[in-house]
Amino acid sequence: MSAAPAVTVEHLVKKYGRLVAVDDVSFSIHEGEIFGIIGPNGAGKTTTVECISGLRTPDSGSISVYGLSPRKDRNKIREFVGVQLQEAALPPRLKVGEAVRLFASFYSNPLDPDELLESLGIKQFDHSSFKSRSGGQKQRLSIALALVGNPKLAILDELTTGLDPEARREIWGLIERMRDRGVTVILVTHFMDEAERLCDRLALIDHGTVVALDTPEAIAAKAGGSRVRFVPSQPVDEQTLRAIPGVKEIERKEKYVTVTGTGDLSGTLINALAAVGVRVSDVEARTGNLEDAFIKLTRDDVSRDEKEVQT
Amino acid sequence: MTDSQLGKSTSHRSAFPFELLKVQSKLALREPYALLGGLALPVALLALFGFIGKANPGNVGDSGLTVIDLWTPTLLVISLLIISVSLPNTLVRDREIGWLRRVSTTPLHPSRLLAAQLIIDLVLAAAAVVIIIGGGALVFGASLHMQILPFGLSLVLTIAEMFALGMVLVALVPTQAVAQPVTGVITFALMFGSGLWVNPAQVGDPLRTIMYYSPSGAAAKAVVDSAFNGGPSYAGLLTMAVYTVIFGFIAIRYFRWE
Repeated sequence: MSAAPAVTVEHLVKKYGRLVAVDDVSFSIHEGEIFGIIGPNGAGKTTTVECISGLRTPDSGSISVYGLSPRKDRNKIREFVGVQLQEAALPPRLKVGEAVRLFASFYSNPLDPDELLESLGIKQFDHSSFKSRSGGQKQRLSIALALVGNPKLAILDELTTGLDPEARREIWGLIERMRDRGVTVILVTHFMDEAERLCDRLALIDHGTVVALDTPEAIAAKAGGSRVRFVPSQPVDEQTLRAIPGVKEIERKEKYVTVTGTGDLSGTLINALAAVGVRVSDVEARTGNLEDAFIKLTRDDVSRDEKEVQT
Repeated sequence: MTDSQLGKSTSHRSAFPFELLKVQSKLALREPYALLGGLALPVALLALFGFIGKANPGNVGDSGLTVIDLWTPTLLVISLLIISVSLPNTLVRDREIGWLRRVSTTPLHPSRLLAAQLIIDLVLAAAAVVIIIGGGALVFGASLHMQILPFGLSLVLTIAEMFALGMVLVALVPTQAVAQPVTGVITFALMFGSGLWVNPAQVGDPLRTIMYYSPSGAAAKAVVDSAFNGGPSYAGLLTMAVYTVIFGFIAIRYFRWE
């Protein structure tokens, strides 16, 4: 790995009154990676990134962003950290292009607003007001505002919430291109497919603590079992799939069929389906599944809480 | 001018956020609360009283003043107070929707956004003063025998006091939904205090005293006195200065960015 990490969070604690939102969270993020923060609602994800971006002051612990403190060096950090907030709207009559050019004027070395609008596919809405745009277009604009300052670090909170699948995939592509340009990305999400697809490494946070910190594959492997995702050439019914040895769970999402189970799942599946005249494409096989791991790791936590209540 | 600075790598931020001022001005034109309330309404009232004055020429009572003479100072104060109480319309909204917070993550401090909005409203206030005095004098022949210095001082204090009050509303009112009725009630009270419906000179105590020492009443009296009666009283100017300090303190003490 390269020299110093881009972001280091050590023993971060943040309380709101008596509620402990973040309880001793530590991790570090390498330069140029997409680092995911996943977890159930209310787990402390947003609070963690708000502390990193300097919007909130931690109660204890330390944070370093490219060697600077988000609170003490707030002015310096704002220059190279782009932030997309979970719920931040623009004045309704502000136009798309105006917003991006306005934000560009705040930075000393911004990207070209027109090129950015173009690459986000919203150039044609340059002169349309914010309120007239769809959820997906607003989200792209929000991303544009986070990127226009040409940041070294982009913090994206709930990137694709409320978007249709097509828009989500387009935005995923955009984030990958950002990483390819060398931008370090912190991605807060509760979509497991998003985390699996995009993130180089993940922190799974639950009840304010880090439950798992690793690559998506490694975290998924903790849940055990293997998983095959594929696109069948024609619809396959439930019974046919259930009859295949080793298959435990079947899930359908968009055009994909995802089968979870044990053994050499992909080989068995492809052969069995070929026997009934179904070809498969876009096969993706994995040991374990992030969603399984997510549920397993966070459910363990719930049962532990219940035990605490009982005693 | 800033557009040319947005090139790829050679650009440098200007010290003053002109782009912000430009964008905020455009928004002020697209959401013309202050423009319509602060300029259009007083202009309409000016025309109304102007025509009443033309239809009833001559003195009102034994004052030696015409209808338009008497109403011009009050219209000035009303115009300035409407511009001021329109501040929450945009700023409370901008805070409620998370825009101020969003801006605070950039190198620009959101106080600049506030400053830009205040500059725009100051320009509007100046325009209102010019239109009402100029329009009153040129179109309807209002005769203001004002001494520039006391008159200017009265207007400056009126603007300071009213803008500080507007910022108190921005600081204390939590949401847009609350802002509408609250500013409505305050505007009504201020208009009453300024003598729009009842002239304080014609009512008895204690109402007269209350009106004279209310924020808008003190302003109206100072402007009237500096227009017709030689100059504002020290008590009136002091009243406005005290209000400005109190409102300013409350606004700064309770202001929230998010």
